[in-house]
Amino acid sequence: MSFLLACPFCGPRPVDEYAYFGEVTKRPSGSPTLRELTEYVYFRDNLAGVQREWWQHRAGCGEWFLADRDTRTNEVLEVMLPESRKTS
Amino acid sequence: MNFLSPSRCASGTLASPLARSLGRVGWSSYLGEPEQVRDLSLEGVVEVRGNASAVSPGAGEELVTLSPRRAFLFTGGDPAEVVARVRGQGALAYDATGALAGIAIANERVLRRLTDLDLDSIPTAGPFARVSAVFRRGTDGWFHVYVQQELGHYVAEAVLDALAGLEQTTWR
Amino acid sequence: MRLERRDGERIDRSRAVSFTFAGWRITGFEGDTIATAAFAAGKRVFSRSFKYHRPRGLLCCSGHCPNCQMTVDGVPNVRVCTEPIREGAVVEGQNVRWSLDFDFMSLTDKIGGPFTPVGFYYRTFIRPRAAWPLYEKFLRSAAGLGALDPHAGHTRRYDTEHRRARVLVVGGGAAGRAAALEAAQAGPGVVLVDEDPRNRDLALPGVEVLAPARALGIWEGGLVPVDADTVLYRFRAERIVVATGATEQPLVFPGNDLVGVMLPDGVRRLIGDYSIRPGERAVVLGSDDETLAIADELMDVGVEVEKVVDLRDVRPRELSAQGGKGRVRRLVLNGERYGCDLLVASGGRQPAYSLLAQAGARVEFDDSLGVFVPTELPDGVEAVGSVTGAGLPRIAPEPAYEGKGKCFVCVCEDVTTKDMKRAIGEGFDSIELAKRYTTTTMGPCQGKLCHLSSIRVYAEETRMFESAIGTTTARPPWAPVELGLLAGRELTPTRRGSIHWRHQEAGATIQWAGPWKRPYAYGEHPEDEVRAVHESLGVIDVSTLGKLLVEGREAVQLLERLYPSRFGDMKPGRIRYGVLTSDGGRIMDDGTIARLADDLFYVTTTSTGADAVTAWFQWWNAVWAYDAEIVNVTGALAAVNLAGPRAREALGRLVEDPDDVSAEDFKYLDAHELVVAGVPTLALRIGFVGELGYELHFPSPAGEHLWDALVGEGARPFGLEPQRVLRLEKGHVIVGQDTDSESNLYSAGMSWLPKLDKDDFVGKFALEHFVQREEKEQLVGFTMEEDVVPAEGAQIVVDGMPVGRVTSARHSEAVGQVIGLAWVPGERSEPGTRVEIQVDRLRRGARITDGAFFDPSGARMRS
Ligand code: FES
Ligand SMILES: [Zn+2]
Repeated sequence: MSFLLACPFCGPRPVDEYAYFGEVTKRPSGSPTLRELTEYVYFRDNLAGVQREWWQHRAGCGEWFLADRDTRTNEVLEVMLPESRKTS
Repeated sequence: MNFLSPSRCASGTLASPLARSLGRVGWSSYLGEPEQVRDLSLEGVVEVRGNASAVSPGAGEELVTLSPRRAFLFTGGDPAEVVARVRGQGALAYDATGALAGIAIANERVLRRLTDLDLDSIPTAGPFARVSAVFRRGTDGWFHVYVQQELGHYVAEAVLDALAGLEQTTWR
Repeated sequence: MRLERRDGERIDRSRAVSFTFAGWRITGFEGDTIATAAFAAGKRVFSRSFKYHRPRGLLCCSGHCPNCQMTVDGVPNVRVCTEPIREGAVVEGQNVRWSLDFDFMSLTDKIGGPFTPVGFYYRTFIRPRAAWPLYEKFLRSAAGLGALDPHAGHTRRYDTEHRRARVLVVGGGAAGRAAALEAAQAGPGVVLVDEDPRNRDLALPGVEVLAPARALGIWEGGLVPVDADTVLYRFRAERIVVATGATEQPLVFPGNDLVGVMLPDGVRRLIGDYSIRPGERAVVLGSDDETLAIADELMDVGVEVEKVVDLRDVRPRELSAQGGKGRVRRLVLNGERYGCDLLVASGGRQPAYSLLAQAGARVEFDDSLGVFVPTELPDGVEAVGSVTGAGLPRIAPEPAYEGKGKCFVCVCEDVTTKDMKRAIGEGFDSIELAKRYTTTTMGPCQGKLCHLSSIRVYAEETRMFESAIGTTTARPPWAPVELGLLAGRELTPTRRGSIHWRHQEAGATIQWAGPWKRPYAYGEHPEDEVRAVHESLGVIDVSTLGKLLVEGREAVQLLERLYPSRFGDMKPGRIRYGVLTSDGGRIMDDGTIARLADDLFYVTTTSTGADAVTAWFQWWNAVWAYDAEIVNVTGALAAVNLAGPRAREALGRLVEDPDDVSAEDFKYLDAHELVVAGVPTLALRIGFVGELGYELHFPSPAGEHLWDALVGEGARPFGLEPQRVLRLEKGHVIVGQDTDSESNLYSAGMSWLPKLDKDDFVGKFALEHFVQREEKEQLVGFTMEEDVVPAEGAQIVVDGMPVGRVTSARHSEAVGQVIGLAWVPGERSEPGTRVEIQVDRLRRGARITDGAFFDPSGARMRS
């Protein structure tokens, strides 16, 4: 694994500069059942295809961002800032 | 937050994290050049957070913007005063002088032996000797590399080791 | 035999260089390689083959084959045909018992037996099972090539250098040079890499030439590591031009591995570069004009050419080389014998496509040439010259010729046509399987000289088309590389606080603590340091604590959502203990949270947690977007814990006004800004070690100064070990030591901590479920009935069954007993319950306690 990933701020860098935080999950609200909670905490879709995931440019600017990556080819189709950062 | 500011300490109380590594040996040997590395650790740095674009650097200052929300302001002035000034401009600011160890390096090849960063992208942040660093160019063209101060000694040793390695490479 | 001085020779006859070669002293010239000097001195055998230990001589003389691998100055597997001559070098044979010329193991060639058939090692050494240790011993010494001296240590220094190139050309032949020169016209940033040491001084205007150097592979993002002996250049190239040419293929016929059978390029090098007459009588065998043309070149230097065989015209019924003592003596063609000591034979050329295939190109069979060519190159990668197949003659008509004797497809692994056929007969009917079974292409040449032949033999035997068989996967590295070069310099990021050197000067035992170097203790008696803290005054460097500032209008909302605790009701200047949990309800980290102002908090984490907690906070805030900034100030601040009954008095002497630290004005769990010995300090009154104490946080460059001042006030430095004893006496938990990834706040005895009535916090969902259930395990304290210290991880035993484990245990002088923390089943967690703990081989009695062993009311730390 040595693909390049483009940080929204620093540009393309080797992937080992980044921390990977897995696919984007949906955190339940209210009082989830044990089953809902367990699914959220432990279950992942583990797609063979394009998935949206969290990355942090740990060796660089330090920012968190999202990337759409094809897990079969490591091709990154798009990187974007989380909603929270787009508006601020 | 005076407790973040070395400049608020009584005189004679400060020491650089690189004192043990760079102070130990004379750095005049390499290729007969006068000096290869310099300690920048006690020069003023302010970490800017929040609205980094609101900050305008003063004379003799350089703002290295890492993201719209994070920047480092390198200053020759009193960083504690610069913090107050930047906060007045609408951003958050923290004296980072003590947080960073800084080393100035004359030889580009020392950098190439310790980072795969595109040196043309400097100023920027990136890896150096397997840790994260902030890079900028001094007015003299030297490379200024800043790492967390607790890694300073380790990084300085890596730089000196790279210099020793360059002396040994006999071709190219 | 050295010729008269010739134009273009690469040796400097005025400079003699001597070395030892398998015990013989040999003198060559500057410019020679080890092999050419030895060859000129009459040496012909350079190695023994892998399996049969047959003598082998120079075959390619280009650094591609296994035949000249020797041990040079202790470094095994050096190809001496390209290794420059060095004064005093010691060159030794490999894979040899006795000597290169007489090898005991060559009996395996003559008597055959269990070694001969392909795959012998998969089925021969199986029975009787009891004999395996013996077999193993024998096989170990027979397997592999070369030996390393395990005591030699580092013999060379290897460096890594990261480079950028606009255009990187791999291969310095005509096509590569032309491509480099053309690229250089468009501007700088052109680098040409070539493996041939003869190109060391190649000068191309505008092009940087690296030679001898080898591109090891092509990876995503244009990454090309280049082996330049002791420096690994990691290139990032915008464009990569592969001009690796085409490699001469050995002709496959019986006896084709005899010493004296050579490829034409190798012979040309011996003559042209080193002015060596390669033999006395030669036979030339080939199917292309380039090969056959060598006959004239041989005659020019006085070699008698006995016979030239053009395989396009002759269809041999029988073709073999025969010899004596492993050296070629004659060629036998259709019953005729042609005497020779040099047999120049070539099967043609195969494009050296491996680098391209490994980069992602497809490889397809070219019917008109009879070779494999690369197609569908990946983006940013080009191919020029004969690696594309351009300009190549057709390959030899037959995949293999018949005759008497062993007929080698793969000289590296000693695989013959017979072995290939046997493998196919045994059902290995895909080329990938046959490759693994026979190990063809898996030796040092990595298929450069045998890949094509093995596929052709396979095709003929199975009556399939080469195009249908395809090739095996090309994998990096493209050329052999020393592991030390891949490893590079040892770089272990090491964190040291700004007071580190004071500890070292004081004779502390320094040990790793996560990424940090920390003092374990300052002498042989950590218990003395514990006593100093209890009775008088101690000071410990806790700069390693993670330290964060959280500032902003919504800082309190952010923290209340990150921690199970509440902070909104805290007044500025107060401190609260906090534990971070995951959404699965598990304990992640702990520390203190001090409110410095309405919108400003100072948060500490464990020593190993700073980076992870910072990233965790920032990630959640990337999701939630509270108006708050999280700043990691771990390195900005040094921190020390001044603790002991005399702490107030000592600190009072170092601040401007002793009243600033009076019991009334600076209470337990207060946070105040002070100036201590001239240093602005954030002082936190907390009691991790159980005595009156002040945690002082201040600019790290003043670390040594303030430390010296505190020691000057009589504080005795104490290390990690005494701190562990002190905190254990208080039953204070160390996250990660006493807790693990299964621990939650209820099982760890901190049920008072989570505020489940808050709207939301990370871990709330899970804790809401946990609070309703019975925890299977509980973290409890225990005291031993005897004065023995169980190991961390020791088993708790009830009725002979292991039911729990010890996480910490120490002898405590203050308690007068061995104390510890342990996980036990819920029904055994009542204080007073008796359990047994496995200590060494014995079970020792212990009593469960609630964990607060010393000063349970906390009167001392609150005083
Ligand atoms: S003869 Fe040296 S590698 Fe072939
Ligand atoms: Zn970045």
